[in-house]
Formats: sequence, structure tokens, C-alpha cells
Amino acid sequence: MLCESCGKNQATTHLKKTVNGKTTEMHLCAECAQKHGVGMWKGMGFDLGNFWGALFAEPSDRAIADTVRCEVCGKSFSDIAQSGKAGCPHCYTTFYDRLLPSIQRIHGKAQHTGKVPAGAGEKMKKDRELEELRRQLAANIADQKYEACAQLRDRIQELEKEETPHEQQ
Amino acid sequence: MNSNKWYERSGRDGDVVISTRVRLARNLNRYPFPAEMNLEQKAQVVDSICKAAAKEGTPVSLRYIDVANLPQREALSLVERHLISPEFSRCEEGSGLLLSADEDVSLMINEEDHLRIQTMVPGLELDEAYETADQLDSFLDGQLRFAFDDRLGYLTQCPTNLGTGMRASIMLHLPALQDSGAIQQLANTVAKLGLTIRGLYGEGSKPEGAIYQLSNQVTLGISEKAAIENLKGIAAQIIRQERTAREELCRNPHFEDRVWRSLGILQTARLLTRDEFMALISNVRVGAALDMLPGVGLDLVSALINAAQPATLLAAAGEDLEPGARDALRAKIVRERLAETGKAQ
Repeated sequence: MLCESCGKNQATTHLKKTVNGKTTEMHLCAECAQKHGVGMWKGMGFDLGNFWGALFAEPSDRAIADTVRCEVCGKSFSDIAQSGKAGCPHCYTTFYDRLLPSIQRIHGKAQHTGKVPAGAGEKMKKDRELEELRRQLAANIADQKYEACAQLRDRIQELEKEETPHEQQ
Repeated sequence: MNSNKWYERSGRDGDVVISTRVRLARNLNRYPFPAEMNLEQKAQVVDSICKAAAKEGTPVSLRYIDVANLPQREALSLVERHLISPEFSRCEEGSGLLLSADEDVSLMINEEDHLRIQTMVPGLELDEAYETADQLDSFLDGQLRFAFDDRLGYLTQCPTNLGTGMRASIMLHLPALQDSGAIQQLANTVAKLGLTIRGLYGEGSKPEGAIYQLSNQVTLGISEKAAIENLKGIAAQIIRQERTAREELCRNPHFEDRVWRSLGILQTARLLTRDEFMALISNVRVGAALDMLPGVGLDLVSALINAAQPATLLAAAGEDLEPGARDALRAKIVRERLAETGKAQ
């Protein structure tokens, strides 16, 4: 699709505007989107909010006007992207898929491996322990500490046995 | 003055490490983050956290301080004692602070997150600081059920804190490394390891008093334990380097002269600005760490650094003073505390 404004470039920014119940659509190239002040880098200010916000920028072909809002705090994805801050804990569930790439950019990883609160489920704790034991096992194998390996292997098998019947229920 | 606060003592590896701090960011599920809350919601959050913290079996007993209604000098003094953040000192209605009697545990309610648990210990004590924070966290979680996601860990307003929500920091005194110009290189190196080092007081390449803060940056995909081990490893290397650089310094007669002159000025000056004080006390601190100055120990230096901060001075005086009067008061307090020291030679 070509840009509706210049008619030359590929349209990569798609806008949906709803005014008084009437919805209009616009398809622009990055350059024209910038001119219309709807580009990703609008303002280009360098306060901290914008800085983190930039981390949340999505590829422009996905920059569709937001209709999804967090049911707890009412924030849209672009609200979060602009401020770099979530509105409430539930935002992370609502926008998980869209936030994930940026979270990965910030931390390099996207799976929590730290403390798990007591209420968050026994299974997860067990998984984490298993993971840790397997890591220790690998390290011990590398160090050729075979006595420790045997103990670790027993504990791993024990945990795996406990886990399997539970999962089949 | 009560002399048993953590910021008036020195601890393990105290020649280089001033103190250790661990902070955990936690939130409640049912509420928006503080920036989005109305006063009523904020009051509810303060209330439920205070109730949970006061419940029987609490590992630490805490008293409530209404920061928004404190005189400004007292709120800023809390910042200088590292008990609250600068942002929190400016907070409006609806934020609160829970503080232990020793001031080594502080809970900021409705700062950036609903709850920030902070523990502080003099010297290098990452395990102890984390353990205290962890215990309190588990106790409070038993009642409040903090917002948590299997994949993202503890959910925080800023995505940079997701995961463990833990920031562990070590406050370091690095005058010799600063002198040798090695800090920038150090900063580059620790950045590659997911840590950051920055001047604690003031921005720029030469922070006042050569006091730096080393802390972990990454919180997701790394366990608390691993992050702490990481920090310990790097801290050990920095401590070793600083000590080596100090040995080098000791061979320079100008260094000994500078330490004694600094003590001399602090013992006699009638006016001391904060900047001058910080530069001089930094020299005296190295001297104290190297046992050069009879009667001047690291505890005394820590207590002085705390007492000489501007808002803490005013808070102790109980009134706001003009900068000139403040500098005179600072000089007086420092002079009195150092009067009988360093006389043996």
C-alpha cells in the first residue's frame, strides 16, 4: 500500500481515528507520518520518560492506534510506551506480548529466575529447584566432581518423580 | 547524639566500603501504581501496608513517619541519611515512611512503587542486608500477596526493575582510584557485567568526597543470590585495587602532608562549606583507614560525614539557618568532635 499523503513511498504507519463515533483510517509512510506529527519519534525530547518510552517503540508497521486498554487502570499500550511506565501490575498481563521485546532489550532476558513468593505455587518452586540442581550438576561434571554429581542426580530424579504423577492428574 | 545508627558506624572492609544497601520493589495487585492513584487509594495502600507491618510476628518493629507533613529540613535529612529517595522527600499527601528504631530498615510507601523495602548495614554486608529485606518481604507477602508473574517476576512500575525488583548497592570510598584516574575505566568494565558505578554526591567525574555507589542493574533473569555474588566479586576486586593504590599513595610524602593538613583545617576552621568539608574529610578518612591519625577512627568519620550534611545540620539545630550560619555551625560541630584527636604526633 502506498502512502496516502505523498503517494510515493510504502505506507508503514496506519492510523485509526475515532471522532464522535465516526472512524477514519489513514495510511502513511514514515516520512509523512513524521510531518503529520504522528511518527514514533514525535517531539524527540530527551527526558527520561521519552528515553524509556523509546525502548518500547514497536516496529512502525505495528503502530496501530490503540483500542485495547488495561481493564484495571485503563492505560493503552501507547500510554505505556510514551511514559516508559506501566499503569498497574495488570498492564504486564494485558500487554505482555507487546512489552516483551523491550523488556528483553532492557534486561537481556525475559524469564524471572529469582525469588518466588510462597503463594505463587509449589510447582514453580520445584521447577526452579530442578533448574538449579541441573545447573550444579553440569558444573560438577565439568569439574569432574563425580561424588557430588551422584547426589545431585538422585535429588533430581526424586523431584522429577514427584512432579510427573502430579502433572498427569 | 545516639551513636548506634548504621551510618555512624563502620563495618567489614570499612577502609573502603562505607555501607551496603538492599532495596526491594513491591506492589499490590488491586491498585494502579502510585503515579496513577488518587488520594483515597493511596491512603488505602498506606493503611494496608502499615497494618501488615505491625502484625504479630513482624521481624522488625517499625514506626510511621508522615513525610509529607515533615519540615523540609527533616525530610531532606532523611535523604542525606539514605533512608528515602530525593523524589520521596518531595512527596505529597498519601505517602508514608516506616522506619526501624536503628534506622537500618526503611519502608517507603507510595514512592514509584507501592512499597520499597530498604535495609542498610555499615561495611560490606550484602548477605546480611539481603536476608533482612528478604525476611520482611516474605512476612509482608504472607498478608499482602505482592504482584508477581511467573515469567516477569515481581511487577514494578518501571520495567527496569522487573524480576527480582532488587537493587543492591555498596557505598565505596575510592580516593586513591579517583586520584589515579581509574574510575572511568572501572565504570566501563562494570557496565559490561550488568553493574553500574556512579558518584554518590553530585554528578561529574570527581564526586565530592570520592564516595561512589556500585549497584546491580539487571533484575530479570538473574536470581538475587547470583546478582549479589556478582556484586561481591566485583567489589572485592575494587577494594583490592583501591588498597594497592593507597599503598602507592603512602610512599608519596605529599599524601601524608595532605592528610594531616586536612585534619588541621577541620580542627580549626570557623567556616566550612559542605564542598570543602567533603574534600577534607575524604583525606582524613583515608588517613583513619591507614591508622595514621591517633584517635580518629572510621566510626567517627562516618558520624561526622552524616552530621555535617546540610539538612541534617539544620534538623539537629531545629531551625533553618542562612548558608553562612550553617557553615559556622558545621565548623563548630566538626571542631568539637575532632578537638582531642590526632595530637600524639
